[in-house]
Amino acid sequence: MIEIRVDENSCNGCGLCVKDCPMHVYELRESLSVPVHPENCMGCLSCHEICPAQALEHKGVYPSKRHYIDIRVCEMLNRVI
Amino acid sequence: MSDGTIEKLKGAFTSDLVYRSEDVPLTCIPHPEELEDTLHGLMKLNGLIIRSLEEVAGRGANAVTYRAGRKYGHEVAKYFEKMENIEEALKELSDILRGQFSFEIWKPADKTSYIIQENGSTFIYLVFHDCIVRQTLRRNGQVQGGPLCQTLYGYVVGAIEEITGKKAKLEIVHTGPNACLKKLILQ
Ligand code: SF4
Ligand code: SF4
Repeated sequence: MIEIRVDENSCNGCGLCVKDCPMHVYELRESLSVPVHPENCMGCLSCHEICPAQALEHKGVYPSKRHYIDIRVCEMLNRVI
Repeated sequence: MSDGTIEKLKGAFTSDLVYRSEDVPLTCIPHPEELEDTLHGLMKLNGLIIRSLEEVAGRGANAVTYRAGRKYGHEVAKYFEKMENIEEALKELSDILRGQFSFEIWKPADKTSYIIQENGSTFIYLVFHDCIVRQTLRRNGQVQGGPLCQTLYGYVVGAIEEITGKKAKLEIVHTGPNACLKKLILQ
């Protein structure tokens, strides 16, 4: 099963993940996102993309193939970073 | 252009390889890693075709791409074994789509069966993981769920119809960066 962790120090309680998740995995409790139904997560990672605080961590997600990444650009970026 | 330049360019197209008519190729040439530029070019081209189609045909673009995908699905699946059992048919479908798309049959934790009945319709959830369409769209900064995705819906529907001999319908539930959720509606 997929395990989900919300970094409480980073989450700003905006609720975007709650609205965006198609499986209603999250609930806002006291201005913090809580993964109340992690068993329903299908690993789309939409919540990662929408979270402005990068507060989310998923363990056990199947990583889909990503041929669209431009390896040369990433190599250049890595050198700069 | 000087003769030297022409000879240099021509030199790139000569080799010492010996081809025999009885040779059966067992590997791709070149190695897939060397195909990165080809793949990017193809994705870019596909994205531009779809964008132009949307500009010219508007909402009709979806109908065109869906039809193309459905024809492709029928075409590819006609060589596969026919069966009525939908779970077996889906297993066969995953063989057909191998290399381009991968999916799993999925259900929310509170459902007991993969075949779900809700509001008078019967359906199966499919989570698409690897998807060349998603990669193409994200490569070009285009939104998911548009005409290029319709090609995949058509493809799946056409293949399922061909295998089972029954009408099928696919509905998009959610598109994400790593996976998409779809409903295969059984009619
Ligand atoms: S990965 Fe998708 S299904 Fe899972 S919690 Fe995030 S938005 Fe919901
Ligand atoms: S989107 Fe991120 S910051 Fe906003 S509530 Fe969810 S976890 Fe917190």
